Amino acid sequence: MLKVTINGIEIELEKPVTVLEAAKQAGIKIPTLCHFDGLPPFGGCRLCLVEVEKLPKLQTACTLMTTDGMVVRTETAQIKAARRAMLEFLLINHPLDCPYCDKAGECELQDLVAIYGPEAGRFAEGKRTHPESFDDPIIVRNMERCVLCTRCVRMCDELQGAFAITVTGRGSHSFVEPFTGGKYNCEYCGNCLTVCPVGAIMSRLHRHSYRPWYVEREVQTTCGFCGVGCTMILQMREEHIIRSIPRMGLGLNKGLLCVRGRFGYDFVESTERLSTPLINKNGQLQPVSWPEAYEYIANRLKEIKEKHGADAIGAIASGRCTNEDNYMLQRFMRFVIGTNNIDSLARLSYAPTVSYLESIFGQGITANLIPGIANSDGALVVGGDPTTINPILGLQIRAIRKNAGKVVVIGPPGGLKRFVTNALITDPYSEEMVLAAVLGRLSEEKELRGELPRLEEKIRAVKIPSQDELSDAIEVDEINAAVDTLKGMENPVVIIGPEIAMQKRSSKRLFLIAAIAYLINARLFVLSERPNLQGLMDMGCEPHMLPGGRPLEFEMFRHKMEESLGKKVPESKGMNLFEMLDAAQDGQLKALYVMGENLIQSLPNREKVESALKSLELLIVQDIYLTETSRLADVVLPASSWSEKDGTFTNLERRLQSVRAARTVSPGRADWQIIADISSQMGDSGKFSSVESVWEEIIHISPLHAGLSYEDIAKGNALWPYHGEPLRGVEGEFDVEGIDSLPEKRDKEAFYIQLQRPLYHSGSTSRHSRALLSIMGEPLVMINPSSAERLSLKDGDKVVVSSDIHRAEAKIKLSEDVRAGEVALCNTFSGLNFMQFVDYEVSPVLGCIVITKNNVNIEKVT
Amino acid sequence: MALVDEIREIGRKYPDRRGALLPSLYLAQKEYGWLSQEAYETVSEALNLPPATVKGVATFYAMYRKKPMGRHLIQLCTNVACMVMGAERLVDLLKERYGLEPGGTTEDGRFSLVIMECIGACDRAPAMLVDTDFHSDLNETNIFEILEKYK
Ligand code: SF4
Ligand code: SF4
Ligand code: SF4
Ligand code: FES
Repeated sequence: MLKVTINGIEIELEKPVTVLEAAKQAGIKIPTLCHFDGLPPFGGCRLCLVEVEKLPKLQTACTLMTTDGMVVRTETAQIKAARRAMLEFLLINHPLDCPYCDKAGECELQDLVAIYGPEAGRFAEGKRTHPESFDDPIIVRNMERCVLCTRCVRMCDELQGAFAITVTGRGSHSFVEPFTGGKYNCEYCGNCLTVCPVGAIMSRLHRHSYRPWYVEREVQTTCGFCGVGCTMILQMREEHIIRSIPRMGLGLNKGLLCVRGRFGYDFVESTERLSTPLINKNGQLQPVSWPEAYEYIANRLKEIKEKHGADAIGAIASGRCTNEDNYMLQRFMRFVIGTNNIDSLARLSYAPTVSYLESIFGQGITANLIPGIANSDGALVVGGDPTTINPILGLQIRAIRKNAGKVVVIGPPGGLKRFVTNALITDPYSEEMVLAAVLGRLSEEKELRGELPRLEEKIRAVKIPSQDELSDAIEVDEINAAVDTLKGMENPVVIIGPEIAMQKRSSKRLFLIAAIAYLINARLFVLSERPNLQGLMDMGCEPHMLPGGRPLEFEMFRHKMEESLGKKVPESKGMNLFEMLDAAQDGQLKALYVMGENLIQSLPNREKVESALKSLELLIVQDIYLTETSRLADVVLPASSWSEKDGTFTNLERRLQSVRAARTVSPGRADWQIIADISSQMGDSGKFSSVESVWEEIIHISPLHAGLSYEDIAKGNALWPYHGEPLRGVEGEFDVEGIDSLPEKRDKEAFYIQLQRPLYHSGSTSRHSRALLSIMGEPLVMINPSSAERLSLKDGDKVVVSSDIHRAEAKIKLSEDVRAGEVALCNTFSGLNFMQFVDYEVSPVLGCIVITKNNVNIEKVT
Repeated sequence: MALVDEIREIGRKYPDRRGALLPSLYLAQKEYGWLSQEAYETVSEALNLPPATVKGVATFYAMYRKKPMGRHLIQLCTNVACMVMGAERLVDLLKERYGLEPGGTTEDGRFSLVIMECIGACDRAPAMLVDTDFHSDLNETNIFEILEKYK
């Protein structure tokens, strides 16, 4: 305990903090410029100078630590004169072009000069000049305005961990520049622009189009791009999103955003948005009124149900839609149509991965907090690059390393390159071997604690590769080094990416990871590529699960739901995504209702999916654009986008968060609303006047969400298991493929195509964001430099990529982030994408997707 | 030894990688003749430091070469003593003979000229360094005799 006096106010402190911090606690504001909460102190601008008794010179409050008995004054004549002098220095070279600087009105330099002066400068020499840089599509830098506070550099280095920019030169020739001196070529998180106090680093998206005081209202919402669920503020002018910004201290992202959240919002204002329902008449989609569309849908669905039964109808829910939207769709299927045929693209990997882990450890095992990751002393990362899939979570892993923890990555480390302790890189098909070897070595070091007997029984049974068998995949020393790192972790996390599920023997790999996590006692995280994959599961958008994570097979749960809702729950398990596609092809499934998903683009073997959808008698698609899928539909319904509706998302931590309408008009209607309308058109008695009324029903029937109000959610700490009851006793039963065998070897000379998950895009939605397209505007086939050499290819060469089912021309880009023997392609663009080249099977244990036919041939176009 | 190995070798003598940055930059400069983007990248790779950080440090210091240089670097002093003894005339002569301006490089890439602030040889002014060789008591003829030895 220590006491300090600031401006005559006595302050008691538990532990020493900086004078700046102590003053803040007492409500005294000391002006600052280079200081920024959360960044390491710099002490460069000297605006925070204060008088400290017994110290002869003025001191910088942002770096000086308090000591017991310290007496500080923050606003004396001497201090004011010093601050004025510092500002006069800063203005020597500052262009004072405030009239056309976008920062004017929220510029810290402007505000400080307004308080402390000087009213005129005494320096008659000319100012330095430096041309404004437009090398970048979305960021503009004007280094004449830079006050060299280094906030941007510290942000980029310390919090973002991208190390993209630096102060070059010295004295008045210092400028902040990226390595190239031109284009940033960075992660484009824009976090440097949050911290720049002046107009030196600015967004180009709204350049010269507004003044900060034009912002009419601010809406706090949750990002709609990935499963982290960052809190963001949408600044609005009329119906226009001026910018999306984070706010310090708000949300689990604590003032940071990634490129998608900060710049990608413009997709909602795309001119390609659908604005009227369409019905296919004579082979052409034609605009119709909403009542006509509703009537058409209701009649056709009734007809099909009467003729072929309810089970001839299915629906696909969406991880981009809110809980309320998804709840309504499963409600429609179960209680209005009368079938459990409901699933979503969470089936590809997220849902089976989470369910499998739950079957080992129990429900809620992945409900761990993202901000807690940085406090761990170690991480094991498998199955994908967290810094591109869930960027803000990725930053937490980088922070582990900065806090002197250790990071082990299995697979290419990508954005964790500078942060790994051990990277176990092998060919894509030997990961199982590596995992098994790690488990083998680790179980020599760590005891089986007897907590989960079935898991331990399987750990004992698993075949561990011998040194010889392993030698093909990786050096034994690397395994040993990684195990040494892992066994020393006291409080680790294990981060599981989507790739783990998407290959053969996925249950084996996932089991091995679970076993390792068990031995080192780690918290589990499953990466989620969409904002609401977890919500899909919790809302019952699975053919075998009811809302609240209750298995359909138990009569008790069905009965409870029937009681609370007064409606019959269909008994037999429904069809999952893959079964529905097969059934459509076979003619068993007659109608499919697709909400907010582009199945043709998102699934392998386009021809097969297209043919299945074309075999349907009725395809209803609800979306915000005309997509490859909605073009095939019989009815297309224009939906509201994420920024035009209220509701909630459940992120990968299982935190429930509010999504709020920022734009008050939408070219479409909220998904939940459309489904409620169609339900009542079909005679359902449910009355849903607002999104709250949907939520009321959810908390009424889902034991997990019972009693959870929108107010609780808005507070930001609606954490699992809320106030509800998770299901206990589900753990214990799980199968493992090939527990006593090793994976089959794959041809080392061949190339395999892998799904690239670029930081700058999010599925096919982001291809409507001009901002994101300006960073990455075309699909590129990524290839390791060593593979390129083998094929005598260089960056930018044109090649023909061919698999068993597809052949296309593409440009290549060399990248160390893909392994030798691998080529990677994203799935964002319509002409050329990963899914075209591959086919799939369904995993016998997990029920997830297994990518097949991913063997490709690469030839140079001459 | 390859540059990367040399840098790593030096790196071992320092408590952290940043500490080894200045000597590593000198090595790279020797190898590449000047600190090009490629030179920064090599240092960055060898020390596993971000390239932007490497560049930031290098550009802070005046004595690294941030522009391509001739094969030989003439550092001629024009400070008081050398000036009094005729150094400025030597600067003019270099221009006349080789077309070499202070801060510039001859067209054939043979010489670069940098004006130095005192090499501590006032008693033998004017003086210059050519690469690392010291030459003093220069005059209008011997300077060229000396320079002609550098091809
Ligand atoms: S946008 Fe992000 S990665 Fe790029 S320079 Fe700024 S802080 Fe660094
Ligand atoms: S660009 Fe902005 S944040 Fe960066 S040093 Fe300059 S004034 Fe500070
Ligand atoms: S990390 Fe995910 S939720 Fe956060 S801003 Fe980026 S895309 Fe949005
Ligand atoms: S805020 Fe303290 S020196 Fe800049």
